[in-house]
Amino acid sequence: MVLEEVKLENLEKGHILAFGECYKKMIHPSSFEILTPLKEISESLRKKLILICLTASLEETENFEDLKKCLADEIWFILNPELKDFKDDLWARVLAEIVKNSRPYGFFFPATIIGTSLAPRLAGILKLGLCAHVNSLELKDNQIIMARPTYGENVIAKLISKSVPVMATISLGTFPINYKNKEPLIKKVIFPETFSWESKLKIKRFFPTKKKITKLSAAKVIVAGGRGLKNKENFQKLFELAKLLNAEVGATRPVCYEGWAEEERMIGVSGVTVRPKVYIGFGISGALQHTVGMENSEFIIAVNTDKEAPLVKIANVAFITDASILLDILIEKLKTMK
Amino acid sequence: MNKIIVCIKGVPIPGTIKVDSETHTLKRESLELILNPNDRVAIEMAIRLKEIYDFKVIVISMGPPNVIPILKHAYALGCDEMILLSDKIFAGSDTLATSLVLAKAIQTLSPYSLILTGLKSIDGETAQVPPEIGALLEIPSITNVKKLFKQNGFWIIIRENEYGEEELELSEPFVASINSHTFDYLRPPSLKRLLEVKKIEPVIFTANELGLSPEQVGLKGSPTQVINIFEKKIEAKGTIMEGSPQELAEKLIRILKTKDLI
Ligand SMILES: Cc1cc2nc3c(=O)[nH]c(=O)nc-3n(C[C@H](O)[C@H](O)[C@H](O)COP(=O)(O)OP(=O)(O)OC[C@H]3O[C@@H](n4cnc5c(N)ncnc54)[C@H](O)[C@@H]3O)c2cc1C
Repeated sequence: MVLEEVKLENLEKGHILAFGECYKKMIHPSSFEILTPLKEISESLRKKLILICLTASLEETENFEDLKKCLADEIWFILNPELKDFKDDLWARVLAEIVKNSRPYGFFFPATIIGTSLAPRLAGILKLGLCAHVNSLELKDNQIIMARPTYGENVIAKLISKSVPVMATISLGTFPINYKNKEPLIKKVIFPETFSWESKLKIKRFFPTKKKITKLSAAKVIVAGGRGLKNKENFQKLFELAKLLNAEVGATRPVCYEGWAEEERMIGVSGVTVRPKVYIGFGISGALQHTVGMENSEFIIAVNTDKEAPLVKIANVAFITDASILLDILIEKLKTMK
Repeated sequence: MNKIIVCIKGVPIPGTIKVDSETHTLKRESLELILNPNDRVAIEMAIRLKEIYDFKVIVISMGPPNVIPILKHAYALGCDEMILLSDKIFAGSDTLATSLVLAKAIQTLSPYSLILTGLKSIDGETAQVPPEIGALLEIPSITNVKKLFKQNGFWIIIRENEYGEEELELSEPFVASINSHTFDYLRPPSLKRLLEVKKIEPVIFTANELGLSPEQVGLKGSPTQVINIFEKKIEAKGTIMEGSPQELAEKLIRILKTKDLI
């Protein structure tokens, strides 16, 4: 594919940039998610939305077709063999050059592990403010206002950044992926000969994950458990129930930290956002940090001994009882029905 | 002797922060701070490396004086020196301002081999400080590290991301944030060191001593600002069902049927 080439120093200035995570032959879907709120913001500000992708070569990207449908107005590729592996220092220097030369109004990253390693390194180099795990973006008098749950149980903080570009990482799964008909303009950014592609990191080996990635964010039915299940053994019952209902298992942060469930199963600000048809929470109090990740579920069922628990209040139906006893009976009954 | 610097944070006890509904400010129910649990893992990593390679471990924290017991706890676990960065004007620092204070202090300790941190703090959960420190000190930063050892004069590191695990090679110095599930066992404090630390105090640095002006730190030095903080009120909207677990299970199954799950 022949791309329009543009020299680093000639990049268009003043737009909104989004980081497109191209790694291991895939464009991470979260990069498309963050374009959804940014599209609205950039249109209101009459600025272009530009996806920035760093990779070794274009040929290998498996979901390249998705790029052609994405919401960005333009995609800028920075291509170099040295970008095959994620090297924090080099990638941040490349992005710093992009920022210095294109003087964007905002630069946003998906809160993936790479995104949350790269964005603060870039912010440090350029001495910029950076908001973390934002789950809502709005414009007020042309200023970008970001929100995220914080501290206590049900507290939301609204944040601004006084430095330009405004920078933030955006929570995974928070926004749906939307596509458009018009293909974005794809350009290749040419760096000057003098730019050094060296890194202090040498990636020697890569061991791909053997674990199958949980498909929580796409699940139609989720059975989730919290501290009210009391122990790992009780939590395990959720997997049995999940099998019977064709569901995925989700969890709260404390139980992930306890090791009852893998961290990929965490629902909430620090984990994933889900939107199933049915969500059942067993022994989950419903702290805001958790509920921001599931409140858009179509139908919410809570099982809790405490009538006053916040999840009981937001639920469509709440069952006031011991979660693990109910689980036992439920599994028993469902098995005999099959 | 080569040094490892461990950055730790005192965090409020979970659940003790509420919002004052009238002033929209945070109310702390308790002033007590605890060691950020994720930093405990970084301390363990530092002490294990000290045992293998004979490092001196310096533990450093920015915070109010009530962080001192936490620094002393780190000493009792096996750290050798304690540094507290404390000044009224540090209050309200965002991650960039915090990283600047830490980086300034770390510079005075140069040369050092490694800077270790927890993956993130449980109060802010940003995970931003380690890469920011790395950028400010112009040394590499690696996040979510599970393993660290020396080989032929280089450090070999295993880090984890969504794609799998990567093995990296690099030379010191660098910053590494440690994966929170790295160890099955975390040592208890030593009795001998608990007694020792009663008689010693951390070294304290103020902004002035670090050469930092009020414009660089605290609220003034923080590009990000909280403009509003509020509590989300929830009102009950659904049906509440009570009864014996047997009855409730029946009712739940009926609901699941209407949703075509069974
Ligand atoms: C910066 C930050 C980020 C965070 N991010 C996340 C996140 O992404 N995801 C997340 O989930 N949390 C997150 N948290 C933690 C969050 O604030 C809550 O502490 C957490 O969600 C509570 O988990 P829980 O409901 O399992 O436990 P608890 O709050 O302890 O609730 C247990 C519930 O079980 C009920 N219960 C007790 N016994 C029984 C029984 N026998 N049967 C039935 N019910 C019973 C109790 O009434 C209670 O409602 C975050 C916190 C902070 C500070």
